[in-house]
Amino acid sequence: MLSLASWQNIRFTPLGFLDISYVIVLIPLMLILKVPMLIFSFVVIGMIIAHKGKPAHNLLIFFVFIIGIFALFLSLYGAFSFKGLSRLKLFLELLVYILIIVVSMQRLTREINFYLLISPMLFLALSLFFFHGMVMLVYVIFEIYILLWIVLSHRMATDLVDSFRATMVMFLYSLPWVIMLFIFFPRISFEHPSYGFRGEVVRHTGHDGTMFLDNTSLLVPSDRIVMEIGFDKEVPSIGTLYFRGSTLYIDKKDHWEAFPSYIKREDRVFGLLRGERTNYKVTLYPTNKKWIYLLDMPSLIVKDSRLDADLISTVDKSIDEPIHYEASSSLSPIFPDKIDKNMRRLSTAYNKKSNPKAYKEAFRIKSLDIDDEQKAKEIIKLFQAQSLTYSLKIGKLDMNNTTDSFLFDQKYGYCVHFASSFVTIARMVGIPSRIVTGYKSDKSNSLNNYLPIRERDAHAWSELYIDGAWRRYEATSTASNIEAQTPQEKNTENEQEEKSKLTESINLYLMYVKYKVETWILYYSNIRQLQLIKYAKANPEFILYLVLSLLSVLISSLIVISYFRRPRCSHPAICAIRPLITSLKKSNYIRQKDETLHQYLYRYAKEYPDNIAIIEVDRYYQQIFYGEDSSKESMKLLQQSVSESVKKLS
Amino acid sequence: MKLLLTFVQTYRQIYQHATLFSAVVVGLLFGLFLEAYMHDFNLVYITLFFVFSLAFSAGPIGIVNIGYIKTQYLKSGRLFANTDGHLSLELYNPRASSLWALSLHHKEESVDIPHIKSDSSNIVQLPITPTKRGEFIHDECYLQSLYPISTARLTIPIGVSYTAIIYPQPKGKSLESFIHQEETHYGEEREFDGLQEYDGSQKLSHIHWASVAKGDMSVKVFTKEREIPKLFFYFDKIAGDTEEKLSQLSLWVLECEKRNLPFSIKISDKIFNSPKEEIDVILSFLAKY
Repeated sequence: MLSLASWQNIRFTPLGFLDISYVIVLIPLMLILKVPMLIFSFVVIGMIIAHKGKPAHNLLIFFVFIIGIFALFLSLYGAFSFKGLSRLKLFLELLVYILIIVVSMQRLTREINFYLLISPMLFLALSLFFFHGMVMLVYVIFEIYILLWIVLSHRMATDLVDSFRATMVMFLYSLPWVIMLFIFFPRISFEHPSYGFRGEVVRHTGHDGTMFLDNTSLLVPSDRIVMEIGFDKEVPSIGTLYFRGSTLYIDKKDHWEAFPSYIKREDRVFGLLRGERTNYKVTLYPTNKKWIYLLDMPSLIVKDSRLDADLISTVDKSIDEPIHYEASSSLSPIFPDKIDKNMRRLSTAYNKKSNPKAYKEAFRIKSLDIDDEQKAKEIIKLFQAQSLTYSLKIGKLDMNNTTDSFLFDQKYGYCVHFASSFVTIARMVGIPSRIVTGYKSDKSNSLNNYLPIRERDAHAWSELYIDGAWRRYEATSTASNIEAQTPQEKNTENEQEEKSKLTESINLYLMYVKYKVETWILYYSNIRQLQLIKYAKANPEFILYLVLSLLSVLISSLIVISYFRRPRCSHPAICAIRPLITSLKKSNYIRQKDETLHQYLYRYAKEYPDNIAIIEVDRYYQQIFYGEDSSKESMKLLQQSVSESVKKLS
Repeated sequence: MKLLLTFVQTYRQIYQHATLFSAVVVGLLFGLFLEAYMHDFNLVYITLFFVFSLAFSAGPIGIVNIGYIKTQYLKSGRLFANTDGHLSLELYNPRASSLWALSLHHKEESVDIPHIKSDSSNIVQLPITPTKRGEFIHDECYLQSLYPISTARLTIPIGVSYTAIIYPQPKGKSLESFIHQEETHYGEEREFDGLQEYDGSQKLSHIHWASVAKGDMSVKVFTKEREIPKLFFYFDKIAGDTEEKLSQLSLWVLECEKRNLPFSIKISDKIFNSPKEEIDVILSFLAKY
């Protein structure tokens, strides 16, 4: 086992430094490597270890090239096509694989060329395409630090402690600049380029005008923030908060659609004014769609937007940059409306050739001598009786009979399947109904008056027209079981199990830190910058606080820098007398060339006989340094005499 | 403020040259900016800002590393034309922190100085090979540093020069051969002193035939009856052109010094007598002849 002192004296060769940097940058990429490429990487590592100190034979390098290409082929088998290469992630994956093969071949030659030197940075840049979370944030900072340490160790050709200290100094010099740039550098970016590579095909099913039911329609359960809501007061405590996106009427077997554009309906000039009213501000991030999301039910028309007959709000152009709007809603699940014959016909339409089992059940309910509200309750009972499971992993549904397939056969599905089946049966029963898509959240996801809405909050629900009003029905709540799919859901389950107050408060604190880091670092945007400017305008003292905070960061950095810039002591006694030497220097009492410390101190003592403590310093120093007196007492006496001397000097 | 002014003054003395790695940093910044711009990844922005800030802070750190060194030439040994020699320089680091990864350059020659501790000096020997005898001024010497991250090559001229006399290249016949030629002037054998291996330069009459019979080729060595106090070197009598004559004299002077033999040189109308006149004075005269 090597001691710390042995570790610090380790001197790596340039190849050793490169190997460490490759290990550091490849760790995150290992998580995205396919198994064949992973095996290839480990084989190459084995070869490098086996050929320690010797360059591999050209034949072996050629063999590595061949198995590398084979591993690449196996890794991308099925996904690979020239058309597929226009997909960014696939292209990047291919680049990573090629780079790994090329680097492996070059590394086996043991010749450091320019490309081998810059490849760690390329790997680092490539890994940033794949990971964006908090862990990666910490790891990237770690990577940058280690790479800098490696570069400095190589340049300084010294032990690891000296290079670590130099790295710390340089890192802390740049840290205030990084913070300043992070806050003030103008964020000009776009998420969905209209040229170059296509982004990954992500079907945001449900809240963009269509709702697919097939198993490719999986919602992206990501934590990416779609919009941020800032309520004027507290987050409403009425339970679930629904944000309306689009309304779907047309059943196309495998998906639902909104009314075609040729069906003209009058826009609204006002919203609903019933129930608890709440005002809020929304920051909506680019969706490349025209919908803006309002809390059910909207009571005011948002500026520069239109509110249609179904209380769906849209803007004229696709949202390709973050927008900021103020809105007001009445928190009610009921929306009084009048529908004409045509509207009634369209909202009770269903395919008579499809879903015979569902039709049989609907016919039974329809035959009951009860009102529409009671019939809706019967439909809920029907759903509850099926022991349905909420799951993001679904089996293959029969696309000609999706309701039958989901309700009576698979019994696994998520919001879109529940809402679609509920609306289908309601229509079979004869109740006008429609699907509303958007986002669902509640107070538990909020902090103070702030509510972030994420991709995974996307939702679909049903609205049934009963007694002159559209009424919200949450069919998903009829699920008997919930299959945990995401780590977040698993965490929620665990939290419920634990119920320890301490654990809960720690979790809350961690979530708060995560939220703050995500909000202010990972999802920091030009909107945030504008908010800061706006806030600073309204609260001039904020500028002072900001400047003071930045100054404190700068001062803290400088303090740490000065600590790491201090020369290293080869002996504790040298460390102890350093303050005295510094003070003597400051007093312009310079040690002469070839003058020993003893001569230096005595010269001073002769010239300034009142500083007797300096003689004591010399005595204890000699005793400890040359007399090899390692007792704590002598060291304490030395420190005391140094301190006395310094006092007299000052 | 004083610190800043000193830094600015130092900065003005330093020359900065781009390296291949500065191009790499620029390329990296451009690539990261494109990545951040296209995909709005704050992680990429953070990496971009780190790369920029590190490259930015590398400048002042590099300047501080090289800018405050105080350099002076130390008195070096004798330098001869077309002969490898070295100049000694003392590099003093007056700062409270160590200096790293420096190198001293002069034309094609360079010496690495990996580390100078705080408030201490390193003595560096810079190899030089003067091509001509005579007065020599050593300037255009500069310090170079790639510290900390090789993104810029910083150079600072030493600012002081070193004047030296380059002595003629010591070349020609050995002093031994001169002594044999001039033996009558040097002394007569008095007493047998022992045997020595024959190397071709000794007199045939001194061959020790008894050892030849045994298979060894030895010569007899005699102590001299008397030693003439001085050897006489006549510039005009030496074969060859002026440079060859000066080289020959230079060689003999050095050998005499080594063997502690007194000598005289007659060159033009001037006569130099050792040890009355110092060897360096004699060599200087030869250098400037």
